[in-house]
Amino acid sequence: MVLARVRGTVVSTHKSEGMEGLSLLLVEKVDPVTMKGKGDFVVAIDSVGAAPGEVVFFVTGSSARMTATTKGKPSDATIIAIVDAVEKDGAFTYRKGETE
Amino acid sequence: MNMARVRGSVVAAARSDGVEHPRFLLVEECDQAGSGRGEWLVALDLVGADRGQLVLLAQGSSCRWTYETDDKPMDTLVVAIVDRMDSGGVDTWKAE
Repeated sequence: MVLARVRGTVVSTHKSEGMEGLSLLLVEKVDPVTMKGKGDFVVAIDSVGAAPGEVVFFVTGSSARMTATTKGKPSDATIIAIVDAVEKDGAFTYRKGETE
Repeated sequence: MNMARVRGSVVAAARSDGVEHPRFLLVEECDQAGSGRGEWLVALDLVGADRGQLVLLAQGSSCRWTYETDDKPMDTLVVAIVDRMDSGGVDTWKAE
């Protein structure tokens, strides 16, 4: 799974039938040491109700189809968790609500 | 399987993966000597790995071939802790 921060939302009115009703979010992969964005962006389908600013992790490939939201849908990147804390070497690098 | 070092952990309460009592580790991909490559992943731990250990990752659809992750949206799993590894007869890694 890949750590990322939700940067925004994506709107598409013309899309594959199977993608109707799915929420698309623009996420930027983050370095878990600095929690800064790596400039690497992907669009992921949201299955947990994540909002811009939140740190999440997402799955890619066929695993992206295994949530209740994306079962049978053409998703290859699905957000499956909203992160509350990241710990490295015994110290928090991120705690929800405390850091940016 | 790719090799990685356990560096920390990740806590997430709001999840849609359906895995019961998961333990998520922050891991850094590494070489055969355990030196980190600066590539980080969140991995579901199935073996009770600890910080500093060299572990093996299962990635992609292979992750679903365990009891805990059958039909679950998981793409990175810690499946083994490396005790020892050698290359050409020379030890590259020895667990403490």
